[in-house]
Formats: sequence, structure tokens, C-alpha cells
Amino acid sequence: MKAFTIAGINLRRFVRDRSNVFWVLVFPILLILVLGAAFGGSSDPRLGVYEAGDGELSGGLVLLLEEQSGMQVVGFESRDDLVATVERGEVEAGLIIPADYDAGLQAGRSVVVELAIRSAEDAQGIRGNVQSALTQQSGVLRAAAFVQAEGAGTFADGLDVAAATGENIPDVTVTVSSVGEQIGYFQLGRFDASAQAELLLFMFLTSLTASAALIQTRRLGVARRMVATPTPVRTILIGEGLGRFVIALLQGVFIMVGTLVLFNVDWGDPIGASAILIVFALVGSGAAMLMGSLFSNDQQAGGLGVLFGLGLAALGGCMIPLIIFEYFAPTLFNIAHITPHAWGLEAFDALVIEKGTVVDTLPFLGILLGYAAVFYLLAIWRLRKVLTS
Amino acid sequence: MDSRASVLECRDLKKSYGDNAAVKGVGFHIAEGETYGLLGPNGAGKTTTISMVTGLLERDSGEVFVNGLPLTTTSIDAKREIGLVPQDLAIYPDLTARENLIFFGKLYEMSGSDLKKRVDEVLEIIGLTDRAGDRTEEYSGGMKRRLNIGLGLLHQPRLLLLDEPTVGVDPQSRNAILESVEQLSGEGMAVLYTTHYMEEAERLCDRVGIIDLGEIKAEGTRRELVQLVGQHDRIRLQATGPCAAGVEALASLAAVREAGVRDGGIEMLVDNADRWLAEILGKVSGAGVGISSVDVEEPNLESVFLHLTGRALRD
Repeated sequence: MKAFTIAGINLRRFVRDRSNVFWVLVFPILLILVLGAAFGGSSDPRLGVYEAGDGELSGGLVLLLEEQSGMQVVGFESRDDLVATVERGEVEAGLIIPADYDAGLQAGRSVVVELAIRSAEDAQGIRGNVQSALTQQSGVLRAAAFVQAEGAGTFADGLDVAAATGENIPDVTVTVSSVGEQIGYFQLGRFDASAQAELLLFMFLTSLTASAALIQTRRLGVARRMVATPTPVRTILIGEGLGRFVIALLQGVFIMVGTLVLFNVDWGDPIGASAILIVFALVGSGAAMLMGSLFSNDQQAGGLGVLFGLGLAALGGCMIPLIIFEYFAPTLFNIAHITPHAWGLEAFDALVIEKGTVVDTLPFLGILLGYAAVFYLLAIWRLRKVLTS
Repeated sequence: MDSRASVLECRDLKKSYGDNAAVKGVGFHIAEGETYGLLGPNGAGKTTTISMVTGLLERDSGEVFVNGLPLTTTSIDAKREIGLVPQDLAIYPDLTARENLIFFGKLYEMSGSDLKKRVDEVLEIIGLTDRAGDRTEEYSGGMKRRLNIGLGLLHQPRLLLLDEPTVGVDPQSRNAILESVEQLSGEGMAVLYTTHYMEEAERLCDRVGIIDLGEIKAEGTRRELVQLVGQHDRIRLQATGPCAAGVEALASLAAVREAGVRDGGIEMLVDNADRWLAEILGKVSGAGVGISSVDVEEPNLESVFLHLTGRALRD
């Protein structure tokens, strides 16, 4: 009960400092947005389309493009605007349909459409989709030309017949199967990977910087005064830790829900994700309590908290994905698992990539709980020594 | 030994930091309603002693009993009986006085309407009722000190430990603090008061322990301490008439150690001025001396300390 009292007073003091709200809640979301937009690569590429004419065939091509999977189509009013937008990277490619598209095709001439692509990474998929749409339209056009050539009607009549007939022709479906091990990380959405990494990074970082608050409580003499009350040292430390735990947990929940709503981030099984959040908040608060009992200068602890928070996050795969370590630096991959971050990310992989449940995260959660227990026990031992000798 | 129940009993307390022995076998007791002062200069071992008595500091050896309950750093029951007013402020600056009081009240296992009522009472005692809702960082030094004391009183402890509570306090707040301590002692609370201000020890304490270099050099009431070191009261009489005859008349009183004519009057050293003053005045008047004023100067603890340690309290 007294632990809740101590936690409550910590939360009250935390909320009174308005800047905390920005750093704990707003800043992480902004960073996820920025990182996701800059480095996320697996969402559908966007194709900008400019129709110089307003013909039926030109419009039909746009409709066929829109039906292609794995690509978004965005309309543009001018060629220059489209090209500039491609250059700025706001769309991955731009298709320019010439003004004589309809006339040329109806006259049986070859027509050239321009496709401007910004990077080779997106070229293959977009080009394939454009080619597919053109091939579909080309089949209908040939059928219409055949109708006209055989004297069975005009080109327009031929188009109608071909379109109506095409609806009744059964599809040929291509079944695709994967061969070899899939690299799951690259299947994640634009924000998924960065959101998971940022979640762990910020929960831990926020907790560590909060170690300064414990040092401040010590320096104010309040911690010592608490020891003079009928309150065991372990209760004092658990209370202090509980306040940080709740803050880290609130931050985690906020990032999770915020990114789910705003960016449709996949967090996997909600129970499993919640379990990771709770256990990682325990780890973070335990680490904060240990730091808060080891150092006696809050500014020093704040600075080192940022250093450790970012350093461990980088080492643990929150900045460079663990999969990169695994393939290109196996030793570093093993070293990364000294950090709780790596185990947290592994737990999220079990949920999001492997589509597992909370049961699949249990081995990782067990290791994380071990971290939390060690941090708290060391912190209690150290705080008792600091306050009573 | 006082016939009243002993609230604090400590025996042979020792504490060293490396080779430096901070406290070397300190022991004393405090009875219900008694105010005991530890008087000594900075670095004498007062704060180390009070920290061991509060269970804040691991001692190397010795025993502490509060209300009969043994006290260590991990004790819970004994700590319920103690209220601590540390030398340095120990309050949250970003909380209000009321919030600070409620927080510590809960740590002392108070709750609900009892806690609320007691918080209001303490705010009244320390004179902060009007500012109870303000953050303490906005308080003056004296107001913070008063809150610091209020936190120690909150749970109505049997034993109140005040570690130099008036250091850095303006005279008005200092007086208010001293009055509060006098009042608490009058209400039956046992008080341990450490100070290096001789006047505070003389004003507040029923008994005083003179502490220096980690040892209690002497202990007792002010008078006992004064007698212990052979100090005497000094009486000066502004007089007219045959002063030499007056001095001769005093020779028959054993309590008068020394007497002589000085600056147009009579000056003497006496064992106990309170006890013998009336008789002295009778003898001098009887010798035909006219007395226009009487000045009694009792030896103070400063001189006792000087006698015991060879140095002044503020050295």
C-alpha cells in the first residue's frame, strides 16, 4: 500500500512538469512518423498518372492501373507537376498518357506512354503493373480491331463486344509458393519495424532518464526521511520504481495505440503485445532504480541515462535491425542479446512475423523478467547501503 | 534515573567511518515529557548519534530502545514511535505543504479523516494554514523549516528527534520553533534536541549532554553541570555606605566563596545564588549598606563546555 503512495506522489510530480508530456508521449510518435516515412520501404508504391487527353481508352487504362494490386494510383493535372512530384520522391513513379492515345490506337498506330521512375528499387513492381494493365487493354483493342477487320462492326462496336466477352472468359490463376526461408523483417509494413524498435527504445530511455528523479528524492533528503518512517527500504524502492513503471507503461500503450490508429502498425496478438509492454516496462523501471541508486548526481545520471538508453538500443537492434546483424555480423548479433532490447524485439518478432501468440513470447518474457529481477534486487541492496551507512 | 517511563534508551553507541571514530560509546536515556539536549560544536557527533537513534544509520555497536522496542535500521514498530526533524530540509519543493504532510502521514500509516484532521492541526501549529496550498519552493526559509518540523510531529510520536532545527532560521521563526518544542514537551512528548547554540539548550532542555569528539563529556541539568565543573554564580550589588563591612558580614556564609569591594559596590562568587540571595541581601543590609541594584550572573553551559573541552562551542 505504501508503495502505491510513493508511486502516486511520483506520478503527481511527473505530471506537474509539462515538458514530460511532450518527451514521453508526443516526441516518440513524431519520431516513428519521421523514421517510418524515411526508411520504411514495404508499403504500396504510388504511381502518379497524368492523362493529357480525356479519351475513353485513356480513362480505361487508368481504371486498369487502379485494379492492379500492390500499387496506389494518384491523378495529376499537369505533366510538370507529376515529374516534379516524382523527383521529390512523393510518388515513386509517374505515367504520362499522351493526348493522342485514343486516336492513335483507334487508327491502329503505335502509341508511346512515358513512365518516369525515381529509384530502381520500385521500378520492377511498378513497371510490371503498368505492363500488365497495358497488356490487358491491348488484348481488348486487338479483339476490337479484329471485329472491325472482319466487317462485323465498327471499332467501337468491337470494343463493346470484346469487353462483354472478356467478362465471361475464365481467369487463369497463378499460384505462387515461397521457396527457402522467408526473411520476415522485409515483409513488415512501413512503420511496423520502426514502431517496435522505437517503442522499446523510448520506454527504456524514458525510464533511465527518470533515474534522475530517484537521485533528486535522495538529494532532497526525502528518501532518508522515508527510511525514518515505518517503511522498509524495499517498499520505498518498489514505490519509486512503480511510478517509473506506470510512466513507461503509459508511454508504451500510447505509442502502441497511437501507431495502430495513425499508421496501422501491426503489433500482433494484443495479449502478447501487452505482456511484452508490461515486462519491458518492468525492465526499464528496474534499470532506472539501479542507476538512481548507483549515482548521486541527477545531471550525471540524466546524461548517462541518455547515453546508455541510446547505446543499448543501438546495440540491441533498435536502430539497425537485428536481421542485419544476424546475416552480416553474427558476433554482433550474439552481443546484441546482452541487451534487453534484443529480447524484446525477438518477442515482437514472435508475435508479428511468426504470427504467434503470447505463449510463443514466453521464453523471451522469462529472460526479460530475469533482467527486471536482477535490476531491482541490485537496486534495493545498493539503496539500503546508500541510505543507511 | 528519572522516575518517569523511559521513552528512549541508548547504550554504548559506536560508529566509525574508516579510521575516524565519529561516535565512541554514547549512551543516554530520555523520559516521557523530558527534553534532552545534545550540546556540542559542529562535528562533535550529534548528527551521527541522532541518525543511529532514528534507525537511519547502521551502528558498529550499541543498543537503542524506543518505548522498550529495540531499534535497528530495519525496525518497523520502533520507528512508529519516532518523529524526525532532520537538520537539512527534507520536503518535496514541487508539492504543497498539505501534499507533503499527507504523503508522510500515509507513510506513518494514517489515513482518511484522521489524517485530514491531523494535517489541518499541524498546519495550524506551524502557522502555515494560509499557505497550505502553495508549493513549498515558494516558501521562505523559515516557513520551510516550520514545515520540516511539522512533518516530524504529524503522527504524534512518543519521541521527537530534532537535529539542529534552527540552523539558518530568522529570529522570529526561531522563536516560534523553540516555543513549539516547549509546548510539545509540556504535552508529554520526549524530545531529543541537538544544537550548538548554548542558549537553546539552556532554554529548552531539562537535561543536557555535552558532546565533543564523539563522546558525552558530561550530562545533567544545567545546574548539575555547572556544579560538576565547580562554576559559581556571580552577584554584583550596587551599594552605598560601608561596603567593606558588608563584605565582612558575608564571611559567615559558607556559600559565599569570594567577596570584595569593586567599583563602588560589592561583588561575590556564590555556590547557588537562587538559594542564598535573600540571606546575602539580609547580611549586607544588616551591615548598614544601602543596596540600589542586584545583578546575578549564573555560569552558562558555554563556560561548562570550555571547562570540559578546553575550547569554545563555536570553535
